[in-house]
Amino acid sequence: MAGAAPQPHTKSGKKALDAEINLVPFIDLLSCCISFLLITAVWTQIAGLQISSSGGPPEPQQKQEQTVDLKLLLTEKGYQLTMPGAALEIPKVASATGALAFDRKTLADKLRTLKGGLPDQSAITVQPEDAIAYDDLVSTVDICLGEQLRNVTVAPLN
Amino acid sequence: MAIVEPGKRPGPRIERSRVFSKKFTRGKKTGYASLMLTSLVDMFTIIVIFLLMNFSANGEVLYMSKDIKLPDAYHGAQLERAPVISVSGDAVTFDGRQVAATEDLVKGDALNVPELEDALRDERRRYETIHAQDLDHSFRGLVNVQADRKIPFKVIKRIMFACNQSGFGNINFAALAKEGEGPRKVALK
Repeated sequence: MAGAAPQPHTKSGKKALDAEINLVPFIDLLSCCISFLLITAVWTQIAGLQISSSGGPPEPQQKQEQTVDLKLLLTEKGYQLTMPGAALEIPKVASATGALAFDRKTLADKLRTLKGGLPDQSAITVQPEDAIAYDDLVSTVDICLGEQLRNVTVAPLN
Repeated sequence: MAIVEPGKRPGPRIERSRVFSKKFTRGKKTGYASLMLTSLVDMFTIIVIFLLMNFSANGEVLYMSKDIKLPDAYHGAQLERAPVISVSGDAVTFDGRQVAATEDLVKGDALNVPELEDALRDERRRYETIHAQDLDHSFRGLVNVQADRKIPFKVIKRIMFACNQSGFGNINFAALAKEGEGPRKVALK
């Protein structure tokens, strides 16, 4: 059977120190565990990006001193980052497939620089055009959250 | 001449030998084979540890559908259990039942989606009735939106409008959680 198969008594008549471990119940337990875990396993991890919409009920917001009204427009041409007195265009770039895609890396860099200058800034309004795909919207919100701009508001552009 | 069983036979000298005569003894082999269970137990243990590491107590929050390919997100938080609005290329469903056709939402100019708003209002009423005495679980207006990556914002905009009209202001966009590129987990407010 399983485990070591010891001699119960040595030649000299002394009791052997080795003990036989019965592995059958252990294997039964492991089999049950594997079955249960396989049935209840979740193979796709879903993440949630919390946003607030412009028409929703107002949320209590803390008064912050050094913040600006930051807006990020998603248009067919690319990103447009605007704040009072300044605007920045981030045009689309050619992706690996050759198609034009939003320049997410540059946007992340710009937001990081902006966050460095305005550490209290946590609000941003993302305004996509109607034709912008859900994928681009989610990736933009994801970049904003990654740069610690946690109060993301999504509002229509027009 | 005596009839003997065919096969190898040792010579008289080898037959007497203590060492070599064992080769020619014809004892019956035992019918049982011993199984090496150690490696089996090792394998089971590794599988259990791997599955335990992947174990999630939350279970499936969303109805995963073949028609909906979710976008990726690196900084998402864990989704909470809430009503789910699914938007595929064909239909908009609320908790599994169809409330509108996606094509209609793309074409129309109006913002409201009456069927979805009614469904959301019913859901809100149901929740508030169930938790009328439960102050710890007051209505927070949490809703999960699960859309295909190619769905235009025009459809999402109308769904968000319907959510706001029905009092569901806490909207969560569902995405596939990805690790890498130095993800920083963000806690939900």
